[in-house]
Amino acid sequence: MSSNLEWEKESSLSGQATSTAHPIHAAPGARARSRLARARGKTGYFFAAIRQHPEFGLGYVIVVGIVLVGLLAPWIAPYSPVTADPSQYLEPPSWQHPMGTDSSGMDILSRVMFAPRIDLTIAILGTLVSAVIGTLLGAVVGYYQSARGLRAISCDAIVRASDVLQAFPVFVFAIALVAIFGQSIQSIIAAIAFVNIPIYLRLTRSQVISVRNTRYVEAAIVCGVGDLTIIRRHVIPNAIAPVLAQLSVNIGFAIILTAALSFVGAGVRAPAPEWGSMIAMGFQNVTTGQWWPSVFPGLALAVTVFGFALVGASIEFLSDPEQRATIVARKGGARPA
Amino acid sequence: MHILRYITKRLLFVIPQLLGIIVVSFALIKAIPGDPAVLMLGPLASEESIGALRTELGFDQPLPVQFWIYFKGLLHGDLGTSWQTTRPVFEDLMLRFPATLELITFGLLGALLIGIPLGVGSAYKRTGLLGRLGDFYGLAAGAVPDFWLALVLIYIFYTALGWAPAPMGRLDIIAIPPPQVTGFYTIDSVIAGDWETVKSAAANLALPVLTLSLINAGPILKMTQSTMQRMLNADFSRYAELAGLPQRIIVRQAFRNALPSVMTIVSVLYGFLIGGAVLVEIVFSWGGAGQYAVQGVLNSDINPVMGFVIFAACFSLFFYLIVDLLYFLVDPRVR
Repeated sequence: MSSNLEWEKESSLSGQATSTAHPIHAAPGARARSRLARARGKTGYFFAAIRQHPEFGLGYVIVVGIVLVGLLAPWIAPYSPVTADPSQYLEPPSWQHPMGTDSSGMDILSRVMFAPRIDLTIAILGTLVSAVIGTLLGAVVGYYQSARGLRAISCDAIVRASDVLQAFPVFVFAIALVAIFGQSIQSIIAAIAFVNIPIYLRLTRSQVISVRNTRYVEAAIVCGVGDLTIIRRHVIPNAIAPVLAQLSVNIGFAIILTAALSFVGAGVRAPAPEWGSMIAMGFQNVTTGQWWPSVFPGLALAVTVFGFALVGASIEFLSDPEQRATIVARKGGARPA
Repeated sequence: MHILRYITKRLLFVIPQLLGIIVVSFALIKAIPGDPAVLMLGPLASEESIGALRTELGFDQPLPVQFWIYFKGLLHGDLGTSWQTTRPVFEDLMLRFPATLELITFGLLGALLIGIPLGVGSAYKRTGLLGRLGDFYGLAAGAVPDFWLALVLIYIFYTALGWAPAPMGRLDIIAIPPPQVTGFYTIDSVIAGDWETVKSAAANLALPVLTLSLINAGPILKMTQSTMQRMLNADFSRYAELAGLPQRIIVRQAFRNALPSVMTIVSVLYGFLIGGAVLVEIVFSWGGAGQYAVQGVLNSDINPVMGFVIFAACFSLFFYLIVDLLYFLVDPRVR
């Protein structure tokens, strides 16, 4: 029922009064709504939200900035990220090397700029794979929650299995997975996807259980729409909001996990520019006073994860109808009835 | 009576989960490439001796039989032998687990000391400086990798200032470990009355504990903040305010009601940190259980990994049970 209300609120807020809200058509994704008005409404909210919470804007700036730096690295990085100059090892930060050089004489700034290519690719792909699999499984499991027979038993088995997987220590589990698949970027992605699937499964399942009991789903069942179509057209679109908010935060975690794997030597191998392995390379130097090989890559990593966390917070904020109402109230628009 | 029935039900629920954990970790370990017999004997060993060792370890049996052998040993408290340390895994873990527990217990206590006041304060003054600080801390603590923060703290307090001892384990080299009672060096040396060792243990604990406290205060803060906010807006708080009670009492009442969810997040963190403090353990050469397991995975040393996972799972299940019992004390509605 809740999503029904949310939709009505939204349409009246954007000033686009739509025709009568029939239970079936009331499901978001219905065509009754003008796409243009919806887009204007959404961007309007978006900018109002950023004005109210400037830190959300900072999050988007960080994320876009890091992505751009990664993409443009071959053109803007001052040195090659993997070529060492043995005559210039452990140079402190200077105009020539703004972040200094590491113990084998590679320029740290260049390596920090190239690192998002590896770190973000792994983190984003790993998170997306886990979100897609976890959401689909969670939707099916939640939909058949109250069913009987073989389906209910197998769905119950899936939930129990994911409980067991969640009881594992994440990091040891991830290392073991990388060890099984062999040490490569693909297997790090697979490991990250695997340890995150239970999160999305649970999140979607809990949402779907409430969506399952709404009128529009019941109406669709009465109309004779097939189960898979209902799940695809009505259940998933209405249960997806928390998943989207989780995505961005999870990309941040995945970046940390990737770096952590590389830090213990179970992730990306050394000369490749990656934040975690750079921190590991500088590990021994920290105790002898050369802080820069470890501190700069870690700082870049922390800022990136922070940016993704802010973006996640903004998505959560925007998908919360109560918070949206406060924006509209501030904008001077009418509060929803 | 009610509590007893509840505990029994909980324990019955735990058994299939434990079984699942054992099966999954066994499957995982078996899937890791690398023949332990070859690794144990070295590359120069003859075919026959490798074959003999494989037979001795039961590796030539079909997988279900191997699992059954392992499971039978497990029921007798036998977790197998680690070929790296050539000692029984159970003994190794009993030696290392207290190290990890000492680290994460103090780490979480520190996190509570930072997270709760900041959380309560930022919920109370939502729009002020404290509120913003709370929001920022919650996000930033989740963004900083613990192993990096550990290195930064080592640089500041060991390399630059020279206040902290070298990150080389739980005690200075000259200090003698106290006789084991609890396994916590700090507590054991107090019991033994050895003040030099107390000082050394505490000094070596300081940086890793600070690292864990700063990072884990984040989730505690977020949980305290959001629950406190809900409680301060709840009808009972508004009523108290209308009735003219002082703010101090209103906040205290709200906090009392926020306690169960704070306890939940602490229990989740405790269970998570048993395996999650691995990286901090590695940076400080702590010699804890997590470090032992990671070394096991990296060297296809099967038994330590299995042993660690089972130990960690049992411990967190036990801890969740204790927390559930604490709910009975804190929240009268559960009774």
